[in-house]
Amino acid sequence: MNPPTPNSDVTRRGFIALACGWTAGAFAGLAAGIGAVRFLVPNVLYEPDQRFKAGRPEDYPDGAITFLEDQRVFLIRRGNTFRCLSSTCTHLGCTVNHSGEGFHCPCHGSTFDSQGKVTSGPAPRALTWYLVTLSKDERLLVDKGQPVESDKYLVV
Amino acid sequence: MKPPLPVRLWQWFEQTTPGRAIFRVGVPRSNLARAQAMVSSFLLHLQPAKVQKRTLQPATTLGLGLISLFLFAILTVTGVLLMFYYVPSTERAYNGMKDLEFVVSAGLLIRNMHRWSAHLMVLAVILHLCRVFYTGAYKRPREFNWLLGVGLFLLTLGLSFTGYLLPWDQLAFWAITVGTNIASYAPVVGPKLKYLLLGGNVVGQEALIRFYALHVIVLPAVAGFMIAVHIWRVRKDGGLARPDEPLEAVEQLDAGQLPTNKSYGLMELAKGTSPQVGVDPEDLVSSWPHLLFRELLVFLAVLALVLSLAVFWDAPLEQFANPIHPPNPAKAPWYFLGLQELVSYSAFWGGVVVPGLLVALLALLPFFDRGRAGVGRWFARERAVANTIFSVCLLVMVVLTIIGTVFRGPNWSWQVPWKEPPAAREEH
Repeated sequence: MNPPTPNSDVTRRGFIALACGWTAGAFAGLAAGIGAVRFLVPNVLYEPDQRFKAGRPEDYPDGAITFLEDQRVFLIRRGNTFRCLSSTCTHLGCTVNHSGEGFHCPCHGSTFDSQGKVTSGPAPRALTWYLVTLSKDERLLVDKGQPVESDKYLVV
Repeated sequence: MKPPLPVRLWQWFEQTTPGRAIFRVGVPRSNLARAQAMVSSFLLHLQPAKVQKRTLQPATTLGLGLISLFLFAILTVTGVLLMFYYVPSTERAYNGMKDLEFVVSAGLLIRNMHRWSAHLMVLAVILHLCRVFYTGAYKRPREFNWLLGVGLFLLTLGLSFTGYLLPWDQLAFWAITVGTNIASYAPVVGPKLKYLLLGGNVVGQEALIRFYALHVIVLPAVAGFMIAVHIWRVRKDGGLARPDEPLEAVEQLDAGQLPTNKSYGLMELAKGTSPQVGVDPEDLVSSWPHLLFRELLVFLAVLALVLSLAVFWDAPLEQFANPIHPPNPAKAPWYFLGLQELVSYSAFWGGVVVPGLLVALLALLPFFDRGRAGVGRWFARERAVANTIFSVCLLVMVVLTIIGTVFRGPNWSWQVPWKEPPAAREEH
């Protein structure tokens, strides 16, 4: 065991006390920080269900692109096939409008074709397609929590 | 001649026991008492007891920091008043705005003052930053105060952003939507940050109350504390930067030493480069009353400007928040339009990388621009390179802001302001 060097003013006891103090302080600070951030992350969300019923298939005329305002989606019927397209721009979340063959975003000017693919503007990804199924009571059932490929149809 | 009654009342009060308990020093009548008055008052001691004569000349600083401070004070007072009527609920916030506008006595005036002070404060803080840059006043030993200033600049923008969300009109709703989506582009933590800011996945009640808490207490408290340190550091760093600043005094301060060549009165002694170091005492004047009187004048001018704006121009209130129809074009206030122009090219590069780099460059500036030449002089020739780089960056932001403000029409498409804009495509 080496004695402390004579010209050092750090004693073994002092070093241990300092190390323990700083370690305890750091842990306490870290725990308080993590706790505060965790407190701010909500555990329960009072948000609407991601799934919703969109009425009967025959409510939608053939070839129609219908905007469902409450859900901010487009319901698209071609013949006996149904698809559902998000109207939320993939750039910064504005609501896109349907115009002509495709869609355009009023906020930063992105445009999308009829398949939701980006044709111009800053949007980084295509618009999202959602899973459409038929419920037991013959209603269209859209799940906004389930994105699907653009070539996935519900055939009625 | 006997002094007028209010003065006599004051003089009597100073002599009473409570009077002496509150004000250790009465109205000062000697230079020593003037210095004592400055250092014995909590608010006044943030400033030096004596200042350089050139500090008092308007051209030295243009008073921009003071103007920002007074705008912050006006914002605090009007903001607290607004809190008595504003309810942070998506159902009641907008109606509260209408009440302030049409029902509450002086409600419209208070809201207008709050709004225009906020706009002016952003402008004053930007100009203050430019002043400090162009006079080279961020260099040793003022690096930390420059950092505080950059922080206060960001806090000012944060306060403005969280403020204009609160009316829950169209501007508010789409600003939260776009703003939190920009945050979601941040590397690694982006989506989690957005979830944390919104308190969920959708822009609604939880998001409003979070931005409300940030706006009325978190950001103002942090900003208020930092402003106090910022002003106090001006004194501690030896007053305003000046051309003939003795380098040895700066070095002494950096080494944590007290200068020993002092022969002045007690109240003129302050740690480090207090203003009198190396300068003839004749160049100094008492802060009381010379500095304080000019500060009062600046305050009155700022108040007069804000009141005039508030009387003649009403703060805008857009339609009630509508998640289905963003306004077309959906424009942020002018100070964010440069940023909005940038994100219209790319959300990641324009919204995260470029602003992040600019802030990092600003923050690190005093640590890599270490030359001492040209400190304390406007547009010093020795600083031509730094000034040019800064001016180009500034010019680019100004041009982007002008483009975003007047050259962008519906669908963010290019428009020429003197021509009729093309009709917005609005069908679904």
